Amino acid sequence: MQNDVEKLVEMLSKVFSNTKIKEIMTRPPIVVTQETKIKYVKDIMRIKGISGMPVIAPGFKLVGIISIEDIIRVFENGSFDDRVNKWMTPDPVYLKEDEMLLHFLQVNEDLKYGRYPVVNNDHKVVGVVTKLDILSWMFKKLGYIYVHDERREKALNKKYMSTITGELLDKEGVDFSYKIDYDSVEMIGAAATRLKKFLKEKKIQEDIIRKISIATYEAEANVVIHSSSTGNVYCWIKQDHIKVLIEDFGKGIEDLEQAMKEGFTTAPDNIKEKGFGAGMGLPNMKRFSDRMTIVSSIGKGVKVEILYYIKEK
Amino acid sequence: MKLEKIIKDLNLRIISAGSDDIEIINGNIGDLLSEVMRTAKPDSVWITYQTHQNIIAVAEVVGIKAIIIPCGLHYSEDTAEKACEHGIYLLESDESAFAVSGKLYGLIS
Repeated sequence: MQNDVEKLVEMLSKVFSNTKIKEIMTRPPIVVTQETKIKYVKDIMRIKGISGMPVIAPGFKLVGIISIEDIIRVFENGSFDDRVNKWMTPDPVYLKEDEMLLHFLQVNEDLKYGRYPVVNNDHKVVGVVTKLDILSWMFKKLGYIYVHDERREKALNKKYMSTITGELLDKEGVDFSYKIDYDSVEMIGAAATRLKKFLKEKKIQEDIIRKISIATYEAEANVVIHSSSTGNVYCWIKQDHIKVLIEDFGKGIEDLEQAMKEGFTTAPDNIKEKGFGAGMGLPNMKRFSDRMTIVSSIGKGVKVEILYYIKEK
Repeated sequence: MKLEKIIKDLNLRIISAGSDDIEIINGNIGDLLSEVMRTAKPDSVWITYQTHQNIIAVAEVVGIKAIIIPCGLHYSEDTAEKACEHGIYLLESDESAFAVSGKLYGLIS
């Protein structure tokens, strides 16, 4: 448990310190020029619901910042027909878009401003970052990490949360399960053909059986050829849909987007000679399913979930 | 088209047999298993050079009823065994894949 916590902290700090300002900032920024009248600035702030804006010179060069505090000063001592350059804070503290989030946290530690203009290498204003931006970004990240962790926990407890429908599937109460514990390519198809037989017994429609069998065959082939681990095939038959889960515990898929491309393969030649490794496995699974999701990360295996809708005849 | 007639007309050797009275309505040629699964229709004959036992599983999931190996080549023993188990016809021809497919096409379409 202690080890898990340490891992989580390490992971989180990596996430935070490796994030660049430009991934968090609001863009495009809402900006005003020095010549803008304060009464228009006030209107922009009210309409856009913001409390400050970078002030720019031609070419989006950062020259100052104007905030609601400045507007209050105008209200007390000036005229709303005054122009921005009279009331803005010149040469404000800014961040560069390629700086890390950690840098922002350090800067903010000392200064405690509400917002910082973000500039690119040409000193052009490209965004604004506020504490709210950071906070909402963090919540999003943490939410994601939490969900991911929760899902793993469920899987360990013999439960699987569907990545398609979100329902909790009980691996103990599964309708069909088959262990892929062979590593010879000759055995590929053992799971798929058994599942087909099972679905036939259950009197499922022929066209659905065919699609399930083909998709399962492809997934099974991937487990045997690529995972270097064992795997499981589960099938749940529900009132209006059938769900198949093919999981392995192997090395995982490095680049899912690439793996989904037709013709992309990492299969060795001796496998290709047997007619595998055409780079059509994942595309075929997608083609022969109504919905499909893959969850994978390096070293954590692959989970392919495929869903079929049973239509009333 | 009855498979029986195809076997007779093309002079094919039966290595393993399935059930009688099979109706064939389509055909496919290919050695890439995924491609075959993608393109083959149910109730097909499949011409392939692949001889290992996985072709039986592929045939089974796709709904291919018979497999033909051309050019006088032979299936491995365990493939024949598996074919029996699943009731898939394994057929051998002495002619080229081109000749076999041409005749098949003429018969079926």
